[in-house]
Amino acid sequence: VVIAVPVFATEKNVLTDAGNTWSLANQIADLIAADLKSTNRFIVADVKNVRIPSFPEVTAPSYAQWRAARAKLLLSGFVNARSDGRVTIGCYVYDVQSGRELGRKGFAVAPLEWRRAAHRCADAAYVEFTGNPPLFDSRIAYVAQSGRDETAVKRLAMMDFDGANHSYLSSGGEIVLTPRWSPSADRIAYTSFNGERLHVRVVDTAAGADRPLLAIGGGANFAPAFSPDGNEIALSISVEGNTDVFTVSASGGIPRRLTTSPAIDTSPSYSPDGRRIAFASDRSGTPQLYVMNANGSNQRRISFGPGEYGSPVWSPDGERIAFSNRQGVTVRIGVMNANGSDERIVTQGPRDEQPSWSPDGNRILFQRADQASGRSQLAIVPAAGGVIRTIPTPQGATDPYWARGKE
Amino acid sequence: VAVRTLIAVMAFAALPAAAAQAQLWPPRLPGIGRQAPPPAAVAPMTPGALQADLVVKAGSDTIYFSPRGHALDANAIARLTAQARWLLANPFVAIRLEGHGDERDSRDYALAIGDRRANAVRDFLILQGVAPHRISVLSWGKERPGSVRIGPSVVAAGPRVRIVIR
Repeated sequence: VVIAVPVFATEKNVLTDAGNTWSLANQIADLIAADLKSTNRFIVADVKNVRIPSFPEVTAPSYAQWRAARAKLLLSGFVNARSDGRVTIGCYVYDVQSGRELGRKGFAVAPLEWRRAAHRCADAAYVEFTGNPPLFDSRIAYVAQSGRDETAVKRLAMMDFDGANHSYLSSGGEIVLTPRWSPSADRIAYTSFNGERLHVRVVDTAAGADRPLLAIGGGANFAPAFSPDGNEIALSISVEGNTDVFTVSASGGIPRRLTTSPAIDTSPSYSPDGRRIAFASDRSGTPQLYVMNANGSNQRRISFGPGEYGSPVWSPDGERIAFSNRQGVTVRIGVMNANGSDERIVTQGPRDEQPSWSPDGNRILFQRADQASGRSQLAIVPAAGGVIRTIPTPQGATDPYWARGKE
Repeated sequence: VAVRTLIAVMAFAALPAAAAQAQLWPPRLPGIGRQAPPPAAVAPMTPGALQADLVVKAGSDTIYFSPRGHALDANAIARLTAQARWLLANPFVAIRLEGHGDERDSRDYALAIGDRRANAVRDFLILQGVAPHRISVLSWGKERPGSVRIGPSVVAAGPRVRIVIR
């Protein structure tokens, strides 16, 4: 669909903490256009020669000029400075053909927070048009890696889905692995290892508070995953060499055992309705994918293709499971229905792993080894397969996990 | 009276002797019924020196596994038996068994199978008579891939457990 995203209007050009409002109006429109373009669901109309809407026109568009620009949708908005130092950002989505308003959003934010408001404006059009969950105001947690493999420094990092607002959450003194966002994207559960103790920690990304999930003294614990309501964390605990899946309250306490096999049971991932858990187990002799009810009952195998399987992750709509698949020295990403049917491999390898779904369930974020340098990097592939796009990061990058978008 | 006096004198005389003996305890005599502690245990050596001694005496400090396996094959058992012998000869040495996965395992699975391999080695050493409290266990997963030189090429060390002197 063709969408027009004209420069935002501003009542009066005022200097703010993030530049003047006229410059913000341009940047906001550019970011919204870039967001919508990145999904391949929108064509952004060329509006260079269309008169920029005035502030009153934002709420009463001249539909004829947008029809002339061949746009089906119009996303128009304004940014105004407030007396308290913040800015008001408003945006409106219109159906140009019928001359009807489809949705609107408004925010009063600190000027430096303009990107989040712009992402949410883009979501207003995206959600309205596709019916998918919101996508653009979402963050990615991952592990930043520097140095040689044998002594790599690994730091917990997070960024907006488009790479902006990058920050580190750990100093690099300990190895960190497999970060997982809470559903409300305010906490990250991850695995920490200092060469003595392997254990799951939970960090509050706003407050910075960082604590171990379980009391010291139990077995090694790793591979955390939040339940969809954010109240529980499923994880692996090893007792005397036998790794099983457990759940525990997200605030800690006594873990409850869900699997009892003498084999390895790990990599739990909740279904979005919270009623089932996918996991990896080698009870058959090789690592394969299994699904069980959230109380541990009804465990059954779902992977029957060639090779070995790992890292199952449930899609946001609950219909599919992404995974890694190893055949010989090649490791690739695949997708299957949650009952194991219709399996397809969607990347070429040779070293693709740690899949994670985009909030709208259309794409899969994963870790791969760059063919030329061997450096680990993040990449995105459409869930049905297709063109792979690399996500730039300041350093090597592994273990990505994409948070749900904010409503 | 004379007898009673004699006993008293003997008892009195015995005291310094007992005190002298107490000072000598434990007696510095060659062990009876067990091996004399080797020099390593008497003159404390650094963990690095002990590690080197283990490699020399037992042939290696590392046990290798097949890509999927955690079972000990004949090579592993022969090597572990030599390592157990060294550990029994150095009873004051504490060790950590560091298990590793394969670099193409998933991250979680590598942690789990490294842990399982280290515990398989622990169980074997305990059966050989090494005291459980001397052994701790951890898994590096695939975070320390390691490398070994085979002729001119260097390859990933792969699935293994290394005995590390603490």
